[in-house]
Amino acid sequence: MLYDLRHADTRLKWLVTCLLATFGWAYLFGAWMVGVYAGFGPKQVAQTYAGPAMHMAMPPDTTVVVEHPLTMGQLAAEDHHAVDLDLLIQDTHVHVPMYGVIAAVLSLVVLGLALPRNAGLALITLLFAAPWLDFAGMWLVKLVSPAFAIVTVAGGWAMGVAYTIVTVIAVRRMWFGRQGAA
Amino acid sequence: MLTILYGGLAALLLHVTPTVELVKRVDVVRQIFPAADAWFERELHLSDPDAHKLHEAVDWSPEDGVLRFYTGKHAGAPVGALIFVRVDSPHGPLEVAVGFTTDGAVARVVVTKATVETKPWVLSAVRAGLCEHYKGIRPGAVPRAAEQIRAVAGQLPTYMGEQIDKGVQRALVAYADFYK
Repeated sequence: MLYDLRHADTRLKWLVTCLLATFGWAYLFGAWMVGVYAGFGPKQVAQTYAGPAMHMAMPPDTTVVVEHPLTMGQLAAEDHHAVDLDLLIQDTHVHVPMYGVIAAVLSLVVLGLALPRNAGLALITLLFAAPWLDFAGMWLVKLVSPAFAIVTVAGGWAMGVAYTIVTVIAVRRMWFGRQGAA
Repeated sequence: MLTILYGGLAALLLHVTPTVELVKRVDVVRQIFPAADAWFERELHLSDPDAHKLHEAVDWSPEDGVLRFYTGKHAGAPVGALIFVRVDSPHGPLEVAVGFTTDGAVARVVVTKATVETKPWVLSAVRAGLCEHYKGIRPGAVPRAAEQIRAVAGQLPTYMGEQIDKGVQRALVAYADFYK
């Protein structure tokens, strides 16, 4: 294959390194944002995305009044950031194309790493599957069951793992590999 | 070609930015009724006719068909109630907390959520004294606080003020018709 980052011009290697560093920066803030707005465990993810779709009860024949005591702690828990259906549609619309572009760009880096064919295929699949899982989990939590929060958690971690694998291999092969190696 | 251009422009203009929390709910509750030492959540699961009546009156259907009022009490005696109302504007949702005194007048209004785009307009409206104009309004009245700030706040804050007027109006009707 002609495209091999190990033997690429230094300017291209620098470009890829800067790109990976920028993505890494974005991922760090992405993780921070997830920590602030959703959480890293299935329970918090389910709480964020399940929301009102879990309560699809039929309206009563007459208006029913229920009153119960409320502590400040319970009220504070209601402040947990929740993503309703409208916001999830908007999030999906905004994020999925960008995740696709990021996965494609990282896949282009993978293609230049001279990995064995199957390893390359697996890594490219992982790069795209991670955001698919991430958003599939959110929609399954919203529409089917909070138990699917684990899919979103798995997708999020898969994104981080895939990025780390690509970055470690790329940096090693571009800057620390033997230049003569084919 | 022009249709595509206008369509793209409309999509850009109508693109909703993320929601921003201006004040936490728990802080609103403490601000509106600082004397309360106990709180109760009153859920009204609306029947179809009641939900329809509310929708017809103020063009609003609460989430899940449930109206949620928070009643504050001090030494067992009610000191007031509040409700959080969502208003969907073309620029995204905003949320308004409307507190009522025990005699049914508006005690205080706090805007709790806006969007990245609307936050500066909302804050300008609030700084122009928008929420002060709601104090004392009673069910049956139509809030027109936005008009009161038009001269000092400018066009977009006034527009957000009209959306907040709408939220307060919904709270007034919900309180008058359903808080029992």
